[in-house]
Amino acid sequence: MSDIAIDAPARPKGLLPGAATILAVSVYGWALLTAEEDWQVIGLLVLAAAVGLVGKLAGLGPKVLASWSSNEATMNGGAVLGLLAVIFALSTQHFPLLMLTTTLLYFIASLGLNIQFGYTGMVNFAGAAFFGAGAYTAAVLGGYAWIPPLLTILAGGVVAMVLSLLLVYPIVRTTGHYAAVVTIAFGVLFKTFLEVNEILGGPQGLMVESMKLPGWDFNNGPVLFGVEMSFYLNYALFATALVALIFCLVRRLERSWLGLHMDAVRLDETAAACFGISVHRTKILAFLSGNFILGIAGALYGMMISFIAPASFTFSDSLLMVSIVLLGGMGSPWGGALAAAIVVLLPEKLQVLQEYRFLLFSVLVMLVLLFRPDGLLPRQIRNYFPGREGGK
Amino acid sequence: MTSGTFHSARLAVLTAVTAAGLALGGPAMAKDTVELGFVGPLTGGVSAIGVGGRNSAELAVKLRNADPKSKYHYELQALDDECKPNVGVQVATKLAANRKVAGIVSHYCSAVAMGTVDIYHRFGLPATVWGAVLPDITYGNDYAEITRVNGTMINQNEVAAKFMADRGYKTWAVIHDTTDYGKGHDKYFTKFLEADGGKIVGDFGVTSDQQDFTAELTQIKQLNPDVVYFAGLTPLGIRVRQQMDKLGLKAVFQGVSGIKSDSFFDGIGPDLAEGTLTFLEGAPAEKLPGGAYFLKEYQKAGFDSAAEAYGPFAFAAMNLLMDAVETVGPDRKKIVKYMGTVKDHDSITGPITFDEHGQNTVALITPYVAQDGKWVVWADSEYASGKRKLPGQN
Amino acid sequence: MDLGLIAQYLANGIMLGTMYALVAVGFTLFFGVLDVIKFSHGDVLMLGTFAGFTVWLGLQAAGIVNPWLQLVIILIASMAFTAAIGAMIAKWLVLPLKKAPPLNTLLLTLMLGTAIREAVRLFYPNGSNPKAFPALLPSASIDLGGFLLRADSVILVAAGLSLIAGLNLVLNRTRLGLAIRAVAQDEETARTMGINYMLVVLATFAIGSGVAAFAGIMNGLYYSEINFGMGLLLGLIGFSAAIVGGLGNLYGAILGGFIFAGLQVVGAALLPFASAYKDVFAFAVVIAIMAWKPTGLIPERTSDRV
Repeated sequence: MSDIAIDAPARPKGLLPGAATILAVSVYGWALLTAEEDWQVIGLLVLAAAVGLVGKLAGLGPKVLASWSSNEATMNGGAVLGLLAVIFALSTQHFPLLMLTTTLLYFIASLGLNIQFGYTGMVNFAGAAFFGAGAYTAAVLGGYAWIPPLLTILAGGVVAMVLSLLLVYPIVRTTGHYAAVVTIAFGVLFKTFLEVNEILGGPQGLMVESMKLPGWDFNNGPVLFGVEMSFYLNYALFATALVALIFCLVRRLERSWLGLHMDAVRLDETAAACFGISVHRTKILAFLSGNFILGIAGALYGMMISFIAPASFTFSDSLLMVSIVLLGGMGSPWGGALAAAIVVLLPEKLQVLQEYRFLLFSVLVMLVLLFRPDGLLPRQIRNYFPGREGGK
Repeated sequence: MTSGTFHSARLAVLTAVTAAGLALGGPAMAKDTVELGFVGPLTGGVSAIGVGGRNSAELAVKLRNADPKSKYHYELQALDDECKPNVGVQVATKLAANRKVAGIVSHYCSAVAMGTVDIYHRFGLPATVWGAVLPDITYGNDYAEITRVNGTMINQNEVAAKFMADRGYKTWAVIHDTTDYGKGHDKYFTKFLEADGGKIVGDFGVTSDQQDFTAELTQIKQLNPDVVYFAGLTPLGIRVRQQMDKLGLKAVFQGVSGIKSDSFFDGIGPDLAEGTLTFLEGAPAEKLPGGAYFLKEYQKAGFDSAAEAYGPFAFAAMNLLMDAVETVGPDRKKIVKYMGTVKDHDSITGPITFDEHGQNTVALITPYVAQDGKWVVWADSEYASGKRKLPGQN
Repeated sequence: MDLGLIAQYLANGIMLGTMYALVAVGFTLFFGVLDVIKFSHGDVLMLGTFAGFTVWLGLQAAGIVNPWLQLVIILIASMAFTAAIGAMIAKWLVLPLKKAPPLNTLLLTLMLGTAIREAVRLFYPNGSNPKAFPALLPSASIDLGGFLLRADSVILVAAGLSLIAGLNLVLNRTRLGLAIRAVAQDEETARTMGINYMLVVLATFAIGSGVAAFAGIMNGLYYSEINFGMGLLLGLIGFSAAIVGGLGNLYGAILGGFIFAGLQVVGAALLPFASAYKDVFAFAVVIAIMAWKPTGLIPERTSDRV
């Protein structure tokens, strides 16, 4: 993890490598989202692999990283701009926008899980359950017209957090695989409960009201310059704002004392406790705040797809979320973005292989785990000062 | 990769997902291409029905494309809803959001259809249901986009209740899956059965992927009903029937249209299946003049799996949709309007007439019984002729 | 509630408990030697059952129809096949990740499970549909006042319990068992004492997987049906059972298996509202047990380093 920090000279880096990356990723994302023919998708995937390989051989990675960390605020802003550009380029096309927004929401979910897996070293195999808790909250509250949707989204997070309170006691008392079983049991329990009870729609599922801000129904496509845009544009923009907000918050958390505490707890609970860090408090904080973020993402997701069912929030879906975190690299927010894109887009884009997509996908994850266990974009060492690597 | 490549590519024709391979004849290329969709469960426990429906819809498209009189060349996108509402909503959105798709034939699973009708309405996509039987799919809304060629479970259960009561059975235990599908069957069957003087002694909801039913069946055994009424789909039906035998439950096993699939026999073997009853809308395909034609063509096309119970409906729905396109052109709004006027439209399942909710009125319900590993129309079976007896019959 | 009904519930519980225990034993064995969770266990079980089913089809085609002979051949073939698969998974997928965080192994095997499941669904002929598993055991039964005691159920439970007992003997009375226990206790020391570490690990995975195949065949015989998804829930339950009992401990796995089955049956029989809540009930109790005994009912004998 730290070799970059050692190798990199400590002079300020130019904007070019980072800006070029943003531009390239934006264009690539747009191309992938609009590609319809199989040969285009496969071509794009080959291209990505080739660029990745060439980049690695030419040692571009460290340059981009250095450029990025020297100008972090600018770069993050640039990434948002790139995202917005893609969104507007796709603004009339329903399906690519839906996929893009789904990717963003899974990215938000991965940020939440990252606090638990990546920073604190806690396992959570019930991610989909907390995500689902948010979505179901949105479905139930959506029935009351007077509740503002922003509040509904917040409520999604709160409900997920309240549910996690049920697990707090067993979660802090157990570690490792024993903690895993607590969350797995909860995930199964959550889904089965939704299936057997009648009030929340049973296995059938529930309709979710669309999102409405004052004077702005999210399910009507806005008309800009005389062209009717896809109504998913609304959700894409809202999700972008949410991603930016939560990304900043998670970054702040990581660089705060709380983040340090979390890392300490992950690396060595006993040592952390010796230094006066309350292991329990740190774990509870990570568990609750992570699930809060999952709940928020779930609430917006429910509103966007407008229909939810217990089958959307199964153990397998939790696994999918965990694999996003692992594929991206534990504790690496940008890795989460990349992995979310892969996990959401790849099966969708490879529907030529229709029935084979899950098989292919699981094999792919296994290969990554075997040959690149730190994930695609491993976590970098904390960087407190722009332009200085690894806190030097 | 320039934007030019993509632009031209988007204009290029989408390759249809077909197993059989469409006949892209020379003259057909001169016609405009119209995209149509099919959605059904192509994987999972009820995939046999879904694949049968998909093949039938594909056959309809293939035959139409071979017809020199047709104005358009049709391409079919077949997507898999896995019989899960959430997946169904995803693929429905995918088809509906694709502006080139003029209309679709969709869904066998009622739970899925319930989730997707709003999507079709929102995008104004005409969707004709080919297999889902829950009344609310058409009657629960005022969406002009949604039509249905097959009957609802209301008629099915009315006939089923009367049929069973006429055989002299008095008590029933109900096992239903807790989707709207199972609950709907439960509701209507209970209603009609009580009118016919039958009695429900126990009613059990089970999840649609449950494996072990010994707990429920143990209680049912205590209640000692004449008949176990099962409202759910084939995979679950197989398990319930198996475990009834394990616990020594000798009651008649009465299913719903959801178990009318050849895979019921694959899963259970002919011995245990023997004497199972089920009810299906419409006359058996082989007894209709159009049905015989359909079965012959299906055979000829060389699909590697059977058309199954709802294949003829998928075929009829796809033909209806293509007739609409032929008449009014590939325009969603115009097709929706056309569907509103369908009356006595000729089809292989009999004339199609949509009421104000887009529901085809299929009055005829055919009872079937499992005999020697096959579904046999009751009237033709050895049970009707008295040669074999159902449990509890003298 | 009359006696026949209680007996019926008890019989259901014992049957389920035996199956769960057999699956849980695998988890606990793997954890013992390698400190890893091999989550593909349930799907390996499914694979073994399908292998057994295929062998049965072959025997039918070859004209060997004696059910006892068929049963023996099926069991041997599927257990051997699954044992080999288990050893291969250990060698090429689990051991290479030995130094990686345990979560990676967990995820790898979870994905392996998905891959196996999907592969069977896609590549086994007509794999997405349930298959009728043959009834190879005598179905004679006696009715004991509302309770139907079936010969096949009795044989299944007896066979399952004796397999567990046999496994216990192997672990406690043989050199291989000694080696397995030694590795479980301290890998370094075991190596220094001249134990072939690799061999022991592979043997353990083979044994655990073979036992799973047995549980799968048992499942098939009991439910008379097998399908590609049967391993998922069995794996989940087996894992929960192993954890509840306490990992790395054979008795813990057995205890956990029977506790889980008991919870399901009690949930189904006694919960007033709906038997559908039995799994909710069982998993809720699992969570409660974890809160009460964070390292399982029979905890591992390890001490935290200070």
